[in-house]
Parts: sequence; structure tokens; C-alpha cells
Amino acid sequence: MEVVLDKTYPVAAGLDAGWQVLSNMHELATCMPGAQITEDIDATHYKGSVRVKVGPAVAAFAGTIEILALDPATRTLKMMGKGADKSGSSASMELTANLVAADNGHSTLVGHAEVIVNGKFAQFGGRMMTSVSDMILLQFAEVFSQKAQALQSASAPVTAPIEGGAPDAAPVATPVTPIAPPVVAKEFNALGLVWALIRNFFGGLFGRKPKH
Amino acid sequence: MNAPMSDREKALMGMGESRLRKEDARFIQGKGNYVDDIKLPEMLHMDIVRSPVAHARIVRINKEEALKVPGVIAVLTAEDLKPLKLHWMPTLAGDVAAVLADEKVHFQMQEVAVVIATDRYAAADGVEAVEVEYEELPVVIDPFEALKPGAPVIREDLAGKTEGAHGKRYHHNHIFTWDAGDKAATDAAFAAAPITVTQDMHYPRVHPCPLETCGAVASFDPIRGELTTWMTSQAPHVVRTVVSMLSGIPESKVRIISPDIGGGFGNKVGIYPGYVCAIVSSIVLGKPVKWIEDRIENLSSTAFARDYHMTGELAATADGKILALRTNVIADHGAFDACADPTKFPAGMFHICTGSYDIANAYCKVDGVYTNKAPGGVAYRCSFRVTEAVYLVERMVDVLAQKLGMDKAEIRAKNFIKPEQFPYRSALGFDYDSGNYQTALDKVLNAVDYKGLRAEQALKRADPDCPTLMGIGLVAFTEVVGAGPSKICDILGVGMFDSCEIRVHPTGSAIARMGTISQGQGHQTTYAQIIATELGIPSEVIQIEEGDTNTAPYGLGTYGSRSTPVAGAAVAMASRKIHAKAKKIAAHLMEVSEADLEWEIDRFKVRGNDAKFKTMTEIAWAAYHLPPEGLEPGLEAVHYYDPPNFTFPFGIYLCVVDIDKGTGETKIRRFYALDDCGTRINPMIIEGQIHGGLTEGFAVAMGQLLSFDKQGNIQGNTLMDYFLPTAVETPKWETDYTVTPSPHHPIGAKGVAESPHVGSIPTFTSAMVDAFAHLGVTHFNMPHSAYRVWQQLKKVGIAS
Repeated sequence: MEVVLDKTYPVAAGLDAGWQVLSNMHELATCMPGAQITEDIDATHYKGSVRVKVGPAVAAFAGTIEILALDPATRTLKMMGKGADKSGSSASMELTANLVAADNGHSTLVGHAEVIVNGKFAQFGGRMMTSVSDMILLQFAEVFSQKAQALQSASAPVTAPIEGGAPDAAPVATPVTPIAPPVVAKEFNALGLVWALIRNFFGGLFGRKPKH
Repeated sequence: MNAPMSDREKALMGMGESRLRKEDARFIQGKGNYVDDIKLPEMLHMDIVRSPVAHARIVRINKEEALKVPGVIAVLTAEDLKPLKLHWMPTLAGDVAAVLADEKVHFQMQEVAVVIATDRYAAADGVEAVEVEYEELPVVIDPFEALKPGAPVIREDLAGKTEGAHGKRYHHNHIFTWDAGDKAATDAAFAAAPITVTQDMHYPRVHPCPLETCGAVASFDPIRGELTTWMTSQAPHVVRTVVSMLSGIPESKVRIISPDIGGGFGNKVGIYPGYVCAIVSSIVLGKPVKWIEDRIENLSSTAFARDYHMTGELAATADGKILALRTNVIADHGAFDACADPTKFPAGMFHICTGSYDIANAYCKVDGVYTNKAPGGVAYRCSFRVTEAVYLVERMVDVLAQKLGMDKAEIRAKNFIKPEQFPYRSALGFDYDSGNYQTALDKVLNAVDYKGLRAEQALKRADPDCPTLMGIGLVAFTEVVGAGPSKICDILGVGMFDSCEIRVHPTGSAIARMGTISQGQGHQTTYAQIIATELGIPSEVIQIEEGDTNTAPYGLGTYGSRSTPVAGAAVAMASRKIHAKAKKIAAHLMEVSEADLEWEIDRFKVRGNDAKFKTMTEIAWAAYHLPPEGLEPGLEAVHYYDPPNFTFPFGIYLCVVDIDKGTGETKIRRFYALDDCGTRINPMIIEGQIHGGLTEGFAVAMGQLLSFDKQGNIQGNTLMDYFLPTAVETPKWETDYTVTPSPHHPIGAKGVAESPHVGSIPTFTSAMVDAFAHLGVTHFNMPHSAYRVWQQLKKVGIAS
């Protein structure tokens, strides 16, 4: 099952703060519930895992991430993620994400992903996947935005310390509102976006009936 | 003592009576006995590790974690089956299929390993814990792509084999080419014809989806060396032969029991890896092993149906007389050729595709192709590939009518085989036994006021504000069932006869056993009615048993509407053997010559003397008590019936649909089904079978589909997606009949359960396309789900 995703999300922070989140794998991972980087292989290779629950289907993906390009000039991240789940699902994604300026000094996260999913997740007609992945993705985008916002505030003289924020991903049900204290991450993490997009991909994928 | 004849006849509840189904008492009370109801002491449970990908090399299988799961006894892979030479098995189509994937997986959900555990849950946990590493390979889903020069090789095990079970293979993904008819004469007829039409169509991949999935309980007794297996099989005797051949256990020590079967529809004809692994596991472990498929496994891996990409062509005169039919088919068989067809017919009875029409020249060609999909190609509630054939010809006749501006009914009437032409030899080689198509057509057209419907449609088409499109579908189908004469039909070399053994007991009741097995057809009810009429024994005291190979005579099983045409004939013939012996006994008892006796309902009487008679009950007693000198005691008979020909049931179906122009939602306003199955044994059961067949036809036409994405992921293998209509969706059916007996069948019966499926599917498409016909649309493929119809509406600019 192959799908191309194009998504944009508002980020309540400027380009530099956003780029700090986007360009750091560990940071990005914590935007996503259930995701983590388990090993830094080298500067461009990581091992990670993510647990996805969609209705009755639970998948614990373990996989690798390779950063193909990281361009601060255009604030573009290009990466390849591959993962498999023991119970028979696998996914791969080539992702290009970049930040562009928006109004009010804010920015916009623009993602383009080509995703292939096989196995159980690809089989289930997953009507529930649309709503679940929309929800997850929305949360991802909000956490991303808050992290960026927090970083931006941290760079100002009076801010909360960067250290000590909630390092782990918030549960899906936790409401995240724009006025909530910013969730501050310790590390960079692109994995979260990978899986956010994979989840969103499920949404796009399963929301649409197969064409015959 | 001399009750009126009508009362005596009624008491028998023989042929023609709507006798209530004997099976229903247990089914409606939940007292059926299905395979999953079998529970044996120390029974173990098996579950299957399946491939998540459609095409890959197996790099490594790690059982360790699985073996640590509490309750898991064993994990078997192809490596474990190799020493037994059971990692591959022969298919019914002359190919081989992997039992457990040997180095490579060929389709998603292919069997890779089995886990045997002390309970079903532990087995499932064990399956989760088996680690399999795959190296993915390019996937081919489209059979046309599969035939391209550089296409991935699906069957590496066939490397270098240019000769298959059915002749030359011209490509590594090609299975066979099969053709029938006179190609040169047909080509010439096309070249000379004033009118020709052509149409591509795809009969999509669907699944019979019986309510009960497949399963088995295998129990090997190591001390006696006997193997008993309860199995969801439509053909237990053939399974016994195959199991004996594969396992080396003498056939006399193999017992296959098909208990109550919750629907088969072709899905339970084949022999699946799950059965084989359950049997092997039981032999290896010396304990009973149960395997029951779940719904996803059933829809994904055991026997799909159809998947024919067909191109039809007709040549005709300008006034609509069909001169020739030509068709070319690419048949997607999946990764192994496991079609269940008579051995010599890799495309089944597809050459019935000249239908109910007198077509002088015809040629058909079918190419079987391997793809990365599950194997199968079974006859889903039809005789082998007859559904595809009928769909093709009926669609083509509509296309031709459209081209000529002729009415659908008129063009059919013009081309029908006439009653006086029977027996009729078709251009593709069938000998149609009997038919009276025009009478049936007239009856239907009058019943529905066809002219009125057409007038209504014309008004609606003229009204731009009409919210619906109205379509009228019409089909005049002829089926070929009752395979079959063993000179041309066999399965693995066993002729396709069937059998019946009847024992009349001393007190006049009887038991009969057949080589067939009911899966809902009501054999227990109807076979008894045949015997009742033939022997004058009330059907109420006739027991019918099937499905246990230790007790029933050998038969080829129930599929392809063969039970009535073949086993039903065996029932009549065995009855007649008993009848003949009974006559000798009656003559002896009454001290007259046999020539002086005549048969009357339930007794032999002396011709012209109503007071002098012996009933069958009296004769039965005498058979055990005082048989005439020179005659063996007892009153039993066995008959193996090898049919001289197939039977050719037919019908005229008409359907009216109203399609919402905005949403594509379709309402089946009316469906009128006239069936002619020859002599009618039990009208109520016929009615029920027709309702069931029409409902499954409705399912296929309007919603069922097994689709795949480019990576070979099967889409919609749950009942959330796979359309199984309930009473809510199912339209109201109107049924009707004519009776044109088969001249070669002992009681003139032709078989009926599959006709409504075969006939209704093209009727729905005919109606759907008819709704768009005034817009120049000649065809669109099934299923006609609201979404797809809506796309069609958009295509012609009606919906936005």
C-alpha cells in the first residue's frame, strides 16, 4: 500500500525555533505519543521504536532512520524511515519536511511523504484509522508547535528552563491547549514526525476506498 | 386398508411435495454438529503463522520465543515437513502448492509455520512469538503485468519447465492455454459479418465466504495406525484418497468425516495447508489436533473465485442474428494453480459461453496466469466457471442489442435454441439435453409487464428532473451442471460418478447413504423423497447419511450442482434395483407371475385387482423372513451412477433498478426469477435454494470484492469490508418456474441451487448498465457499490 502525503501545520514560533525541533531526532520523537529513539548509531542513523494502537490493532514498530539531508539554509529535513512490527506489519517512508515563514513571526511545517505500508495494517480496512491518525497528528503538530514556542521563549531572558519538561510523550487523550505551559523537550527527534506522518498516512489511506 | 390413492401418496411425502427440511430441527435449535463442535480428549490446537507480505524470501525463522510461550508444544515449518516430503502438495489442477512456505512466500497470508499448543489462546500467542525475517521481492498483482517479459518470477520452483499440466507454458508466469471451438471458421465468420461488437470486462475476484470457515480435527491413533479426520469438506471421499496418497497410510485406515457443514459454495472443495498440517501434527504428536480458520484467514487464503479478465466479441447480421462468438480470457489463478475443475478442463465448463443461443461458430481461449495472490479459482455456487461464461455471453448479447438498437428481449428471442433443436450440439461441444426458452421468456415478460416498464423508463429518461435512473436487466441463462460423464470428467483420475446405497430394513423403514455431502442443500430431506416415490416407503422413515467415508459409498461430493443430477440419479437407480427385487418377492408371495403385477404408489397389486396386493412393508418383511427360493435374503442395493451427459438447467431473470442520480445508491425495485430445473423434487427447498442463490448473486454483483494494493496487501478481508448481505440489504425475490425434464436423467431432474447465482449476477449488471444505456454506456465492471456507481454517474456528467 503506497501513499503520498502532503500536510501543513501551523507552528506558533519562528523559523529558528522550529528548525531546532525539526533538525533534532530526539526532540522530534517526543512530539509523538509512544515514540522514542532507542539508539544513536551515528550522526545520520538512528534506531527507534513506536507503539501504535488503532482500534483493536496494536503494532510495536522497531526500525531505523537515516537522515538523507539536513539543510539549515532552506530548513529542510529529508529522511528515510523503515520499520517492522513483529506481528506482521511493516512500513517505510521517505519524508521531506521543511519550515516556511508564516504571519506574525510564526512558521508553517510542510511535510511531503511517500509511504509504503504492508501487512496487517495495510489489510484492515481501518475506517477508524482516519479519525485516530487525525487525532494523533493534530496532537503531534500541537506538541511540535509548543516545543518550538518553548525554545523560542527559552532563548528570551525570562523563561522556563529548557531542562525538566515532560520528556515522554503525552498520552493521546491528554488535551493540549495553546495556553498550556509549553512542553519542553530535552532532545531533538525526527522520529515523531515520521510516525506522525505514517499515522496520518493511514488516515489518508484508509479514508479512501481502494480504486478498482 | 384401501385408503384413497391420494391419501396414500400424500403419506409418502415423496417427490413434488414441499416436505419440511429434516435438518432444520437441529439447526434452528443450535444442535448442529460442526467440525468445531468436535472435542476429543487431549486435543491440541493449531494456529498458523502467515506472511505479512506478498512476495519475499524467507531469510530466517526463529521458533525459540514461541516455544517458550506456556502451552506451546511444537512449531512446524517447511524444514520440518521436508523429511516427510509434505512441504509441497499436489493441487487438484495438476500443479503443486506449498504446504508451508519453502524458502519463499508467494502471497500475503501464505502459511509459513504452524504452532501447536494445549489451547487455542496459547497457539495464538505462539504465532505472535514466531519471528520470521523476510527479504522482500517485487510483487506482481496484475496478470497482464505478470505476462510481460521482465516480470518478477513468481514460481522459482518451476524454473525451466515449459510444459505444464495442461500443455505449453510460454512465460514464467504462464500456467496454461486452453481453447475450444473452431478458430478458423470463427475468424472467417467475423471477417464476413456485417456487424461486430467487442467488450472488455473483468469478473472480479470474490470469495464464497461460507458462514462456517474451514477447519479440521485430525486424530491419529498410533497404536491402530488409523487416522480419523473431521473436516469441512465438500468431497470427503476424494480427500481420503489424497490423504492416503500423501501420508502413505492405507486408504482403509483413513477415515474422513464431514459432519454438518455450514455452507461451502466451492470454498470447501480444495485441500488446504491447514488440513495437511493438522493431520501431520496429529501423526507426529500422537494426539488429536484441531485447526479452525478465522474469518480473515478464510477470506484471505482459502479458495477465492472468479478473477477472469474477459474480452467478448459477437458477429451478427444487421437484423440481430448472431453468427459467431469469440472470447479471450486472462485468468488470474494466484500463486499456485489450485482451481477445482475436472482434470481435463483447466477453465472448467467455460465453453458453455454460447449460452442459450444458437450460434454456429464459436471459439474461446483461456490463459491461466500466476500472480502474487492466494490460490483458488473455485466454483462459487456454480458449476466450474459457468458463472463467468454466462456473464460473458449475456453481457455481449446486451452490447450487441445496444449497437443494433434492438430490444434485449427481442434479440434473445431471435437467437434462442428452439425447442425442436434439442438435443442440441453447441459450437463449443456441449450436447444440451432439453430446453424451452421462449415459453419461459414470454412468461416472465408478461408477469412483469415488460412493455409497461419500458414505457415508464422512456418517460423517466425524458424527464430531466427525475431523481433516479431506471434500468431493466434481462438474462436468459443456460447452465451446465452435474459433472460428469467419467469418460471426460475426472478428479485426480477418479471418474466423476456418484453413488447411493439403500438398505430397506425388515420392518419397512430404510437407510440410504450417498457419496455426496450436504452443506445446506437439504439432502436428508430430498433424497428421502426420491426413495419414497420410487419405493413407496414414507420419507419420514428413511434415514439419509452422508459424509463418513467409513460408511458411505465412494462419491465425488457436492459442488457444481451435481448432487441431484448425479447422486440423485444414483438414488433412483438403487431404488429401482430394490424395486425389481421387491417385485419378485411380491410375485412369490401372491403366487402370480411378475408380469401380472403392477406398481401403485406403495404396493404391487395384481393387475386389475385392487384387493390383491402386497405393500412394500410386507415385502420388506418377507425379504428377511421368507425370500423366494433362489433369491438372496435382504433388500438392499448399491448403485454407482456415471451420468451419460451433463444437465442443462435454464432460467429467465429480470431485474428493475432505480439509481439515485446524486449518490449512486441503488434500489433493486424488482427481481423476477423464473427457473427451469426439470423435475422438481421439493418445491419449498427449490424456493429456498433460489432465494439463497439470488442473495449471493446480489452480494457479488453489488458489493463483494477482494482487492489488492500494488504491494499485494489484500484489502477488505474482514466482514466490515467484504459484503455479506443480511435481510436488511437483500431485496424481495419473486420466483416462478417451468418444467422441462432432462430426458437422460432417471427422474428428469437437473439441479437448481446454483442457477440463481449464475443467472442473477449478469442480470444485475444488465440492469445497472441499462440505466446508463441511453448515454452510450455499454458496460462497467462489478461490484456496483454506491461509490463505484457514483463514479460512473460522474463520468457521464450526471453527478458532480
